[in-house]
Amino acid sequence: MLLALTDKRTGLANGFLLLALVAASLSSMSLGTISVAPLDVLGSLLGKADPMTDFVVKELRGSRILAGLLSGAALAVAGCLMQTLARNRLATPGIIGIDNAATAFAVASVVGIGLSLAPSAMALAGAAAATSLAFGLAGANGTRGYRFIVAGIGIGAIAGAATQVMLSRVAIDAANAAYPWTVGSLNARSGHSVVILSIGLVLAAILLAIINRGLNTLQFSDAVAIALGTRLRAIRILGLGLSVLLTGLAVSVCGPVGLVALLAPELARTLCRPGKVPLLASGLAGATFMVLADLLGRTLFSPLEIPVGIITAIVGSPYLLWILLKPSNRSLT
Amino acid sequence: MVPNRAVASRASFPSRLLMTWLVAGFLLSLVVMASLLCGAGPVSPGDAFAALLGNGPDNAHFVVTELRGPRTMIGLVTGLALGLAGALLQSMTRNPLAEPGLLGVSAGSGFAVALAILFGASNATLTTFVAQLGALAGCALVIAATRVQGLGNDPVRLILAGATLSGLLLALTSMLMLMDQRAADEIRFWITGSIAGKPLTLLSSTLPAIAVGLLIIAMVARPLAAMALGEKAAVGLGHHPGRIRFLITLSVALLVGSATALAGPLIFVGLVVPFIARAFAGPDIRKTLWLCLPIGPAVVLGADVLSRLIAAPSELPLGVVTALIGAPALLAIVRAGRMPSL
Repeated sequence: MLLALTDKRTGLANGFLLLALVAASLSSMSLGTISVAPLDVLGSLLGKADPMTDFVVKELRGSRILAGLLSGAALAVAGCLMQTLARNRLATPGIIGIDNAATAFAVASVVGIGLSLAPSAMALAGAAAATSLAFGLAGANGTRGYRFIVAGIGIGAIAGAATQVMLSRVAIDAANAAYPWTVGSLNARSGHSVVILSIGLVLAAILLAIINRGLNTLQFSDAVAIALGTRLRAIRILGLGLSVLLTGLAVSVCGPVGLVALLAPELARTLCRPGKVPLLASGLAGATFMVLADLLGRTLFSPLEIPVGIITAIVGSPYLLWILLKPSNRSLT
Repeated sequence: MVPNRAVASRASFPSRLLMTWLVAGFLLSLVVMASLLCGAGPVSPGDAFAALLGNGPDNAHFVVTELRGPRTMIGLVTGLALGLAGALLQSMTRNPLAEPGLLGVSAGSGFAVALAILFGASNATLTTFVAQLGALAGCALVIAATRVQGLGNDPVRLILAGATLSGLLLALTSMLMLMDQRAADEIRFWITGSIAGKPLTLLSSTLPAIAVGLLIIAMVARPLAAMALGEKAAVGLGHHPGRIRFLITLSVALLVGSATALAGPLIFVGLVVPFIARAFAGPDIRKTLWLCLPIGPAVVLGADVLSRLIAAPSELPLGVVTALIGAPALLAIVRAGRMPSL
């Protein structure tokens, strides 16, 4: 990461994204059903505000923004990792069905079917199951484009249907408790899973800093990467494991907000110096996206609240369509 | 089989196809019986059978004639429409994965219905018409997308684009549902995909459109078979590819729109049915279409019977069951080595 900061363009990009993230978080703290003046927000953060403002800014909005920020960063880093490993910019956790499977497992835990494990653990199990299924069915290490993606679409559909089955079989209260997971919302977060997510993020950051160089060489062909001294197998397994870990933990907080994992790395790659894997920038961009989308969802049709998953789908889908429909695009499959 | 001989000869009805057709028809009649006799409620199959013969307890009589009868009929028509639409779309786009549900045609239709409900429509005829309009828009988008250079030859990019479009439309539909509680309840009834509890008037309001769709299929089946040889060959045989494409788009829109108006968006039916039919009929689209006639209803009704039995005494939404059956089929198609081309 330090090395990344010494590169001027990447450093500028990271600085810009960090600034955007801070601005987004501050405006998200000040805007809402109760507006708080920006100065009061700053006052509250510094510990000098009346209890009412303090409660709104820190308890209500602060924890929500923190959850969104962490899960957005986790999803984006997971997406960037998987894209790099599969050498395919469409191979993100959402598209290959990991989100949906993690959601199905988390819903199972909430409505009390099967093992009564915490949602985090169940979501992780779901993410791992979907990934191994997708890779197993694709019959290779994910570098074989189309099969991988179609297998993912199928897995996602099965997991979505399984979620529906569970929701339709349980009492209405349990179904309501699990509903936010099915659309992707920051309302269902529990403090517990946010803590687990932040631990996972720290762990991932350390490991990624170690294998960063190896990941960069993965952008060449296998032969070149091996010649540069990269232990391909180890890096692939570790990277994939981290990607699954981050996705599963993020889903246990915010549900399947899939397109963040596709959009944020795209933005990061545009801003940063080409040739490197922009993990840090992806994380910052993902966090910013998530906070902004949640802000939009809360304020656009206030007092009605639109779940963050719907906002990202509406904003992100046209972009994904544009990537797909753009003629002469050879880097896809 | 030599393809151009198949086109040159008249659409005959070979005995092997006849056999397959009869077997499929027999299976369909079994499924129809199962649909009338089995259910999640307390009426036993024996009572239901007695009610069919005209005696038996009153409640069984009511359940069979008023609940399961209409449901079975709606299932038959829905399956017929979706199976044929899938076969047509796949043949025209030359893409074995082109399925109305996956490509966003059903989602377009569902979104249009949701919009109409939000603006206060509740008349069955109106929603049918709106569903067809939405399906037409979805179809037009798909056709436009296949004309984009390179995309037509790339099945995965096409269905990924379709999946994205579906996701977008679903998100917009969910947003509409948040706007208005009354509309949300009605829309939810639509978008889960079910043939239970739908009135027969809904069926009669879609029948004209389905009849027109079938008529168009009867007209374009031969030119479509010629187009399987390539557009130049079709032109050489005296057909007009543009006109055929337009007619097929229209027909798919009518069929999918009607099916969605009847049952809500049911994904994967249009994938599974032509896949089975093609396995028996071979590459000739006319034979595939013939086989889709019994197989489509059998698949939908079979899934519906399952949806009643899996979770008895409650029921699952039909759309969930078709997804659970269809997604493994998608995986099997992809797993079957080289992507099959049309």
